[in-house]
Amino acid sequence: MAGPLYAADPPGAVASADLEGLTALFHARSGTTHILAPPAPQILQALASGPADAGEIAARLAADFELAAEADAAAAISARLAELEAAGLVWRESAPTADSGTKTAAGSGQALE
Amino acid sequence: MRHRFELRVGPVAFRIGSAWRGPVDALRRLYSGYPAPEGVCDFTVRLEPERPWRRALRPSVAIRGDYMLPGAAPLALAHGLLAAEMGMNLQMALGQRRFLLLHAAAVEREGKAVLLTGHSGAGKSTLSALLGERGWRFMGDEFALLDPESGLIHSFPRTVSLKNESLALFGQVDPARLGPVMEGTPKGTIRHLRPPANAVARMAEPAEPALILFPRFGSNMAGEAREVGSAEVFVRLTQASTNYVALGRRGFVALTRLVSSVPARAIDYATSDEGVRLVEEQWRG
Amino acid sequence: MGIVRDGMSEVKQDEGVSGRGFVPSRRTVLALGAVAASTVVTVRPAFAQTAGSVLTCEIPVPSPDKVGNYIASDGTLVPPGTPGAFAPAPRPLTGEEVRAMMNHGPTPAGFDPDAAQAYLNYIRRLQAGTSGFTCFASLQMPR
Repeated sequence: MAGPLYAADPPGAVASADLEGLTALFHARSGTTHILAPPAPQILQALASGPADAGEIAARLAADFELAAEADAAAAISARLAELEAAGLVWRESAPTADSGTKTAAGSGQALE
Repeated sequence: MRHRFELRVGPVAFRIGSAWRGPVDALRRLYSGYPAPEGVCDFTVRLEPERPWRRALRPSVAIRGDYMLPGAAPLALAHGLLAAEMGMNLQMALGQRRFLLLHAAAVEREGKAVLLTGHSGAGKSTLSALLGERGWRFMGDEFALLDPESGLIHSFPRTVSLKNESLALFGQVDPARLGPVMEGTPKGTIRHLRPPANAVARMAEPAEPALILFPRFGSNMAGEAREVGSAEVFVRLTQASTNYVALGRRGFVALTRLVSSVPARAIDYATSDEGVRLVEEQWRG
Repeated sequence: MGIVRDGMSEVKQDEGVSGRGFVPSRRTVLALGAVAASTVVTVRPAFAQTAGSVLTCEIPVPSPDKVGNYIASDGTLVPPGTPGAFAPAPRPLTGEEVRAMMNHGPTPAGFDPDAAQAYLNYIRRLQAGTSGFTCFASLQMPR
């Protein structure tokens, strides 16, 4: 069962700086500055190739890193996504419908979790 | 306005207008030797009666200018000089866009600047003024100006307002450098001290930031220094800047570059001599 | 707040020259953090231009470096117990509350009306460099 799809601004829309292991991030659209600890910056980077749910993000991260999670990777990533969403750095996208060729009246009003 | 004074402090030019002569006379005396602005001034400060009839009757000085705080309390005419200084601070705090403003004192040696930052009352005004008397070039006690393009700190050497207890440390200075005694101000009894002649003469020389210090002054403090991580320095400096947000990406790049390239230490001290010693120790270290 | 500080260990990569005797590289470990961990901190200076941020900025009365003083009705700081003076505000005032009071609006919830006026007068006397000044100044910014 796929969770909600999350999206982030493309990497060019933020400026970042490494501060001894923490990342300072300037979000140009909102003019807000944030301090991020791993794995938050890596999750934003993983979303550069397009929107994804927690499971897919875990897969993208696993391609570059050895993932260490106390319990379930997807649960940990969901918690990180909630933080990033509260900060305005990611947002939930509408999931693509299975038959993307046909539009239904109900499709546009689909509510997400 | 009836009385006018124009003043350049580092890269910033002010025009101060006043409905009363007293504050302008005090400014002219305290800032004698400072260069006059060339051309248009960056900011205007106006000392005006709170209401028209308050110019002569129980004079009440409202601080106005390009940038204002309409709800702010007016000052008594006896504190007119303080009103002018607060007015200049206000223009910088609200209107400065060319430089990233750090709420910090700065002193320079061999082309390198030490920034002293922290709450009011942390002792940075007194400490920076003292260092200015002991071989360092005083670059300012209120605002350090960071140039986002060059990364250099520009000098902004205004007069230093010193509280009663601190004044005793400056007994040796030329009395001509001291402003009038002002009692009953929000900071208690204060006097203003003009920076040393070399600080004024060299105000156009910027310096490369080399050390950031967070001084804490208190009778129970042990003379100690400890490292501060760059992420913490970054966050603390954003709180200490009035124009970080307004500068947007420029401010972010300038500040991250500063905290990544300059070491930072917190120093605790109980006497001003100990404070000076710790600054010099960290400088050499 | 438990920030996950150390999510990454050192990268070690060993590569054989030709593939023979190749030692598998040890990839960087990325710790995903406990569910309750905090990895994102938004920087909120008291001074910002958008109207929304006025709601979040706060003014402590008196400022932290003046803890222990009482506030006279004209907003000056006096020693504790001075007759007619008010104890420090039990919590910082928000920019929104100060703005409302300056427009002759209601006393903030939980505050004695006379005390609140004294706090307002204190705030009106704040100078650049005092804690809360930038929040007060941001109330005056256009927009």
